Amino acid sequence: MARSKRRIVITGMGAVTPLGLSVSETYQNCLRGISGVGPITRFEASTFPTNFAAEVKGFDLSKFIAEHKRFENCGINGKFGAAAANQALANAGLLPTDPDGKASDRTRFGLYLGSGEGITDFEGLVTNIVGGLDPDGKVDNKKFCELSLRNFHPLHEAEQEFHTTPAHLADLFDLQGPNYNCLTACAASAQALGEALELIRRGDSDVMLVGGSHSMIHPMGVTGFNLLTALSTRRDQPQKASRPFDLNRDGFVLGEGAAMLVIEELSHAKKRGAHIYAELAGYCSTADAFRVTDSHPDGRGAIACIAGALEDAGVTPSQVNYINAHGTSTQVNDRVESLSIRKVFGAHADKVPTSSTKSCLGHMIAAAGAVELILCVETMRNGMIPPTINYETPDPECDLDYVPNQARKAVVDCCLSNSFGFGGQNTSLVVRKFAE
Amino acid sequence: MGIFSPLGTRREPFWEAVLAGTPGVGPITAFDASALPVRMAGQVTDFDAKLYLDKKDRKQLRMMARPIQLAVAAAQVALEDCKVDKAALDKTRFGVVYGSCMIPTELPELAEPGKVCVEPGSRFLDLKKWGTEGIHAIAPLWMLKYLPNMLACQVSILHDAQGPNNTITENDVAGILAFGESLRILERDRADFFLVGGAESKINPLSLTRQCLFETLSKRNNDPAGAHRPFDKDREGTVLSEGAAVVVLEELEHAKKRGAEMIAEVASFSTGFDRARDGKGLARVIRQAMAEAGVGPGDIDHINAHGQGAPVTDAWEAAAYREVFGSLQVPVHALKGQTGNMGCASGILELAAAGLSLSTGIRPSTINCPNPDPACGITIASGPPARVERPCVLKVTLTQLGQVCAVVLKKIG
Repeated sequence: MARSKRRIVITGMGAVTPLGLSVSETYQNCLRGISGVGPITRFEASTFPTNFAAEVKGFDLSKFIAEHKRFENCGINGKFGAAAANQALANAGLLPTDPDGKASDRTRFGLYLGSGEGITDFEGLVTNIVGGLDPDGKVDNKKFCELSLRNFHPLHEAEQEFHTTPAHLADLFDLQGPNYNCLTACAASAQALGEALELIRRGDSDVMLVGGSHSMIHPMGVTGFNLLTALSTRRDQPQKASRPFDLNRDGFVLGEGAAMLVIEELSHAKKRGAHIYAELAGYCSTADAFRVTDSHPDGRGAIACIAGALEDAGVTPSQVNYINAHGTSTQVNDRVESLSIRKVFGAHADKVPTSSTKSCLGHMIAAAGAVELILCVETMRNGMIPPTINYETPDPECDLDYVPNQARKAVVDCCLSNSFGFGGQNTSLVVRKFAE
Repeated sequence: MGIFSPLGTRREPFWEAVLAGTPGVGPITAFDASALPVRMAGQVTDFDAKLYLDKKDRKQLRMMARPIQLAVAAAQVALEDCKVDKAALDKTRFGVVYGSCMIPTELPELAEPGKVCVEPGSRFLDLKKWGTEGIHAIAPLWMLKYLPNMLACQVSILHDAQGPNNTITENDVAGILAFGESLRILERDRADFFLVGGAESKINPLSLTRQCLFETLSKRNNDPAGAHRPFDKDREGTVLSEGAAVVVLEELEHAKKRGAEMIAEVASFSTGFDRARDGKGLARVIRQAMAEAGVGPGDIDHINAHGQGAPVTDAWEAAAYREVFGSLQVPVHALKGQTGNMGCASGILELAAAGLSLSTGIRPSTINCPNPDPACGITIASGPPARVERPCVLKVTLTQLGQVCAVVLKKIG
């Protein structure tokens, strides 16, 4: 159905990732095929089934914002988010102190994040439980409460709540418009981008700060994913562990970080002479409605999602010349995603370079969708497609062009970015070069 | 609508309790809370999720923490209540959006691994042992039991809802944001039929202890029924409670075609951030909502308020009402006086009550506000329930950090 739509463009980007503390550093390192993976340093993980991850390195929030002290009790997710948000807003010229920022109507400037929870005081939690066991080894709730009241840090606990990051950013950057946070597992920040796009299209807002921030590189996160056998356990070759679409893939590798974009209604951007990076053109969200653990084997939800996003953008498969895949490096995802792309793209699927930047960055979970969209934008701007590294042995069930191991020069003017999450959450976005 | 609340389950008993002004808060019976400064809550008692699931689906319950169980049960009740023929729904246009919260791990699940890795009396967790031994004492699907998006995902799986699916995690406004987002998706014709809800339970040792550490809570343990006092001079903080509420939100023609009973029309939705927390941002959002609905202050029968029951929060909420409604004396109904604060579920529960006032023509009253705070300067809905005299109800929800939402519901016809 034809709909008249306000057009939405990207005018600012920021990123804090395992491959760099900026968008350009992250993109350039992806092009070089560098792996951000290494031993886990955030906690004693040496004996965990998975003892490696892609961590953000050398991060110090005070180098990004003057008001870093307000984030003191936040999880590292909130700190990554603040740094990336500051970059994106500065890049767009829309910080409250910028001339355009001062001139803009902050009540029509909102925020939609796919931001994760803070970091659980895991040692505190487990020692409180154990300290509160009765002589029979059962949990004594009263004793647990006593110990927890004494041992948990009130401000740290308060900052774990999901809505603290969006509230901090809205307050710090004076964003008085719509304020959302969603958490649809690995699809969260892509879904945030899509719904924020729709908010501006409808006219509920003119500008939105959108993105994600997350870290699950903590004992609880690694425990949970290890138990699900979702993580790679390639302990002898951590940098080879994230190998999307390769026959010998054995799970994903945790990453962390934040990625933020400023998206803006076209005439609003033009009026202030903003630099336009790209147009956010299409979005779709569907549910597999199948199982909490696995994707639908025939890609039912993913196919509807990819097709829906292309339709929303008004582009045909043949117009797409790069796909940034969800490509987690798990057996099921990579197979189902490949067949879903083939189903929607038909014969053209062989001609569309499709890479997974998770091979370099690891999986930034809630923040993954936003960083991958940023990499699509950089790919269009620079004409270089980031590779899927660690691709060594083709899998007969994954038969697309994955841009193996080497960045590729190409004219790219329309990209699809997929994000799929636990529980059967599917989100696809279409971004294209801006043209009048 | 599907309801599990401290005031009862299902539409009719809930509404009767609301009109009767029945208090829902009582001493905590779910666990021994005697060490905590707060020992009362609004609880959903005798909840058995099995009763709301097909036999073949019941084994899934072990993968669902309590808020998820409440969420799927409320979805089932809502589907029955709206009398939809599920087989006739276009599954790809059947959406699910929930507000969700942090779901705490159940303590016994970490006790076994904990024992292996913590020396008695020690505050040190031996993570090396955890990695080799502790981790293997936990059930494989442990994490999935607690992921916030599992409310909406489990509902989508149980009912084959393949349309838009989202989970909003924004504290007390999460449910109403979920509602607003679903409304917009219906408006843009990407779905026909939505289950929109919220479910939350903080009535467990871990959540309640955490909240005691950082939230302004009422400590009126000797008077649980009177502890949550929205806009009252003697309010001291919120009372936590648990529950789930789900509403069916449906495009008008779709509802008409299947001959659905219509409870209320959604006339508008608006949201924003009240940065100074002085009510000005909330007033702006309320005005936006009324403008979108094409109504003025004089069309609002009553305000269905957030009513946190905390000194500072109620004051700025009230300031917004004074600014928008001036001398109109629009009565303010704060259901939390009865239910306590169900977190992300309260918004939808209260919205359900707002809808029922319009469909039944009766406006409930606020309990536990015998002495309205003069500093709030608003008109509290008091006395026996009154007749609804104007076509719209304004629903407001907020978080203490400043996220605010407004919805205008309109009488059908």
